Amino acid sequence: MMNIALYKREMKGSIKLLIIFGAIITMYISIIISLYDPEMMKTLDSFAEAMPELMASVGMKADAATLLGFMISYLYGFILLIFPMLFCILRGNALIAKYVDKGSMALLAAAPVKRRAIAFTQVTALVSGIVLLVLYSTIVEVFCARSGFPGELDITELFMLNGGLLCLHLFIGGICFLSSCIFSDTKYSVAFGAGIPIFMYVLQMLANVGGDAEKAKYFTFFTLYNPDDIIAGGGESVVSILILLIGAVILYTLGIIIFDRRNLHI
Amino acid sequence: MSVIKIESLVRDYGDGKGVFHVSFHVNQGEAFGFLGPNGAGKTTTIRHLMGFLKPKSGRCIIDGLDCWSERERVQARLGYIPGEISFFEDMTGAEFLKFIAEYRKIGIQNRREELLERFELEPKSKIKKMSKGMKQKLGIVAAFMHDPDILILDEPTSGLDPLMQSRFIDLIAEEKKHGKTILMSSHMFEEVERTCDRIGIIRKGRMVAVDSADTLRERHTCKYTVTLENESVAEAFAADFSGIRDGVKVTVTTKQSLEEIFMDYYGGEKHDEHSAV
Repeated sequence: MMNIALYKREMKGSIKLLIIFGAIITMYISIIISLYDPEMMKTLDSFAEAMPELMASVGMKADAATLLGFMISYLYGFILLIFPMLFCILRGNALIAKYVDKGSMALLAAAPVKRRAIAFTQVTALVSGIVLLVLYSTIVEVFCARSGFPGELDITELFMLNGGLLCLHLFIGGICFLSSCIFSDTKYSVAFGAGIPIFMYVLQMLANVGGDAEKAKYFTFFTLYNPDDIIAGGGESVVSILILLIGAVILYTLGIIIFDRRNLHI
Repeated sequence: MSVIKIESLVRDYGDGKGVFHVSFHVNQGEAFGFLGPNGAGKTTTIRHLMGFLKPKSGRCIIDGLDCWSERERVQARLGYIPGEISFFEDMTGAEFLKFIAEYRKIGIQNRREELLERFELEPKSKIKKMSKGMKQKLGIVAAFMHDPDILILDEPTSGLDPLMQSRFIDLIAEEKKHGKTILMSSHMFEEVERTCDRIGIIRKGRMVAVDSADTLRERHTCKYTVTLENESVAEAFAADFSGIRDGVKVTVTTKQSLEEIFMDYYGGEKHDEHSAV
């Protein structure tokens, strides 16, 4: 079902982005975790109190008591959502739509490789990239927390948190991939593949501000990933994460089926 | 025995573009020339044979297999040169050929080296930096590398210089000798005349003629008899124009080139070009 030569090529194509985003994530995680300091917390809390809307819109709230709570406030609202999402958008578009748009899909389609196998290989390459990014973030988090604040981080909780994060990004990747499979023109593939997740993220920012805008949370899938609930261990959060995971599987499957059946003007 | 068979293929793009009830076949070991102006439907027809497009009606069959529903089985035996080749620009030529070999799982026992030598191609440079001719050569090597027994070539000589064009024609002649089945679209009458057994002419999405190259040529032969002043002039004339001398009379035969035959089918309308779809 998978073509190794194509997979190798696509992973090579992902490396640059993975390194850049990996470096950015490393920088942010190490800086944020090193900022964790009960004294410093007061300063950040005062920021949050001074401009609650601005801080809340990027998921930063006052009163983050534990190290993990602190990380949720300052990493899981922006950094760890945005960069893997950008990876999904850029690679998702490049994996199918760009080849079709440029015509080089003809090289891949004119071979005894099933279209389904081509699409499945591209899904595997995208998913591998997402897994690598989340896995790498987890390692950096554990490393920074262990070296800076030994014994402060609950590893199980972190794993649950990042497991959920992985499902969220797999879902986003699914949107990008499906859009890449539907449109022959990168213009439209990017418009939908990037437009939908970014729009949803903006809604999430609005919802975070609170007030009337909080209703926006019913219109964005980001609501399904609620780090605080995951830590609290609510059954509801498990269901939400499962919805994201199942949704991701459906999106990828749909993308593969559509690519298999569509006409290619290449 | 026909290897490639197209039966009443239809794909309507509107505005009279597309292909309409196109039917023809290519026999085992035969070279078929597929002629037509730009936008006549050559590439659209070929895309159906390649399984890129699903016929709106009618069907394409290669070696008894449906080109759409059994495309990967068809592809295993096919060599294809696209009309407009778009490579992975980030690779070098050598990397690309290696990729294609691995992608198709054809192993190292292939014709790569022989073909590179034949076309004097040095594949070390980045594809992005290659000239159109070099890219075309690379496309040829990639299409013939796995020694397929059916070849579908969409304007295969575009961008090649005359020397390389004639090398390509030699390659086609050799492949034909080895029993390969070849479908070649072109607007180079010379190469089709030199290589193809039968020729199909398509215009505005419809086949206007399918016949053997010889028949097409014969149908358009003219004879002229010229009377000259004296025998020595007649002899010189006969020698210069390869005519047959009979006293002071010389009979010369002109074959209308396929190009002229071609233009006959297009009538006065020379401006039916539109972008290839």
